[in-house]
Amino acid sequence: MLRVSDLHAKVEEQEILKGVDLEVKAGEVHAVMGPNGSGKSTLAQVLAGKEDYEITAGSLELDGEDLQEMAPEERAHAGLFLAFQYPVEIPGVGNSYFLKAAVNANRKARGESELDAMDFLKLLRERATLVDVDEALLRRPVNDGFSGGEKKRNEILQMAVLEPRLAVLDETDSGLDIDALKTVAAGVNALRAENRAFVVITHYQRLLNYIVPDHVHVLLDGRIVRSGGSELAHELEEKGYGGFDGARAEA
Amino acid sequence: MTTGADTRTGPYLELFAGRGAGGPVGARRQQAIERFEAAGFPGSRDEEWRQTNLGPILRARPVPASGQVLGDGGALPFLYPDCDSMVFVNGRYAPAASSPPEGVTAFSLADPAGAGADLLAEHLGASVDGRASCSADAGVHPFAALNTALFEDGVALGIPAGAALERPIQVLWLSAPSADAAAAEGGAQASIEVSFPRLLVVAGENSQASVIETFAAADPAAGGYFVCPAAEFVCGAGSVVRHTRLQADAAGAFHLGFQHARVDRSAAFDSSSLAFGGALVRNDTVALLDGEGADCTLDGLYVLDGSQFTGNHMRVEHRQPHTTSHQLYKGVLDGQARSVFNGRIYVHQAAQKTDAKQTNRNLLLSKAALANSNPQLEIFADDVRCTHGSTIGRLDEEALFYLRARGIGFEEAHGMLVHAFAREVTDKATFEPLRRDLEARLFASLNGVRSNGQGG
Ligand SMILES: Nc1ncnc2c1ncn2[C@@H]1O[C@H](COP(=O)(O)OP(=O)(O)O)[C@@H](O)[C@H]1O
Ligand SMILES: [Mg+2]
Repeated sequence: MLRVSDLHAKVEEQEILKGVDLEVKAGEVHAVMGPNGSGKSTLAQVLAGKEDYEITAGSLELDGEDLQEMAPEERAHAGLFLAFQYPVEIPGVGNSYFLKAAVNANRKARGESELDAMDFLKLLRERATLVDVDEALLRRPVNDGFSGGEKKRNEILQMAVLEPRLAVLDETDSGLDIDALKTVAAGVNALRAENRAFVVITHYQRLLNYIVPDHVHVLLDGRIVRSGGSELAHELEEKGYGGFDGARAEA
Repeated sequence: MTTGADTRTGPYLELFAGRGAGGPVGARRQQAIERFEAAGFPGSRDEEWRQTNLGPILRARPVPASGQVLGDGGALPFLYPDCDSMVFVNGRYAPAASSPPEGVTAFSLADPAGAGADLLAEHLGASVDGRASCSADAGVHPFAALNTALFEDGVALGIPAGAALERPIQVLWLSAPSADAAAAEGGAQASIEVSFPRLLVVAGENSQASVIETFAAADPAAGGYFVCPAAEFVCGAGSVVRHTRLQADAAGAFHLGFQHARVDRSAAFDSSSLAFGGALVRNDTVALLDGEGADCTLDGLYVLDGSQFTGNHMRVEHRQPHTTSHQLYKGVLDGQARSVFNGRIYVHQAAQKTDAKQTNRNLLLSKAALANSNPQLEIFADDVRCTHGSTIGRLDEEALFYLRARGIGFEEAHGMLVHAFAREVTDKATFEPLRRDLEARLFASLNGVRSNGQGG
């Protein structure tokens, strides 16, 4: 489904991704772990099509299509979803209005009929319950004045409503208390399916107790230095990232 | 007076000569033209006018707008449901197209009768002849004086004391220039059709009314014309007057407007100015808070593209204690559009406990667009709260990316963000048909923005 090969990306003349390889198949859950500043968010943003980053080498493919040729909205239409590490506040745009616009933009792009107000509301209520989002949040402007936890839940709500085929979750767990973490995990697990895949970016192993990954990758200084099964997450928890310095050859 | 001023003012003085000065306000009109003649048009050194290029207007020879008559139903597309209405075409009342309100004194200035004449004699022109004018340094407003001298017709509304009007009153000012008016032939001086719409609203004590002024061209593809309106509001003690001013002139139009409100004790004047059309547009607003507890809210939105220019010049005078003013003007500029916001707040020595707030925010959608913002506070009382803020910014790229990452296309995302910026002003329209119209106009202008703004 997703194939990232030898990806190099820089921002403001500074190389951040220095040759990332990642292959994600339908039905899989991959965890990408790494210390702060290792390039996790850069990878996520590059996947979603953020223009600040310049890709200097390598390739990105979704279902064999070159992502670099696609605008951010086209990537979404193709089924890619990024839960932002720092969701953007958009005063003046109502949350449910935004969600409806998003759902219908995707439906339209895929040649499906747009949902009317009633059908959308039904879908929204159902998914809001699933990920435990208070209806009051739906009436407020997008992320505007939301607490950290509310923002993260709102990302998961968007994911639940948009039903992407590949969801990239960028530190959706940071700053969440254990209850919120369980809700987020429940949202992800509810969506797990044969034809879907997840890339869960996280700093800590904690989330992976609730979302058990098929593969774990360690990203260090812009490179994946090691890949393994879910046991790798536990190893990381014990040893910390220090133990992976210079371990690149094992990857 | 220089020769230059003569060639510019001359044609306007001639218009007056041809018109005469009879009627209940004849003497005041005479006085207005004399003041105009003495002051002349502002020059490039006039601080209040420095940034407004009057050249294109003053180079053309003014001829009274007389053009076309409006066909049956020609005003309908501009009229809101559930409203009383008075329709004017080229500054003249069109009774057949109007349904004037009942229970208020509403009449065309061309034909004032009975009680109407007294209303006029007492109030019309008070804002420009000195009886209720600003502090001396405000000087003569040349276009307000011209309007007083030259208006042919207009509307006066007297709201009886204690009356609360249930329906808004829409005053529609339609311009319908004749097709060939603006064309310059060879070396001949171009002529321009000019009209001088005049509105007077006198709200009795404790009355409530909402007046919507709409400026538009009967044919949106009309060429250049010049509309030079003036509006006066006399807000009696305890009255609540809402005023909406929708400027949706044709793309080539010149519009130099003046509005003046005198707000008495515990009265509230709430005005919303929405500017979408025109090539060169100016809107000068004066609010005099003239009684204890008087309040005014002055909101505005200008949405500009191409080479449009819009200037908003505000003057709020706090003359009495415990007076409050809130100004919020927002601009959306694309193309090479330019805007000026000049906000002067003048707090007199007597006006202790004044609370004045002024905000001007501009959103630039292109590199070449330019917004100017000049707050001017003059405070002569010591126990006051005055704040002002102005910002000039661009579209939030992070927000744009976020929306696009959710599948919302560039154009729609762009429109959503501009709408989010503008709605702080448009949402204040509580009259539903008006709010819907504003939204539609906003989206229509964004469509223009979309088609040429993406590359910028
Ligand atoms: N837009 C940017 N401009 C400048 N530097 C950036 C930008 N984005 C990321 N970086 C830098 O790239 C490195 C990796 O950042 P990031 O991808 O956010 O790491 P992580 O998500 O793993 O914490 C950091 O040194 C960060 O400062
Ligand atoms: Mg990060």
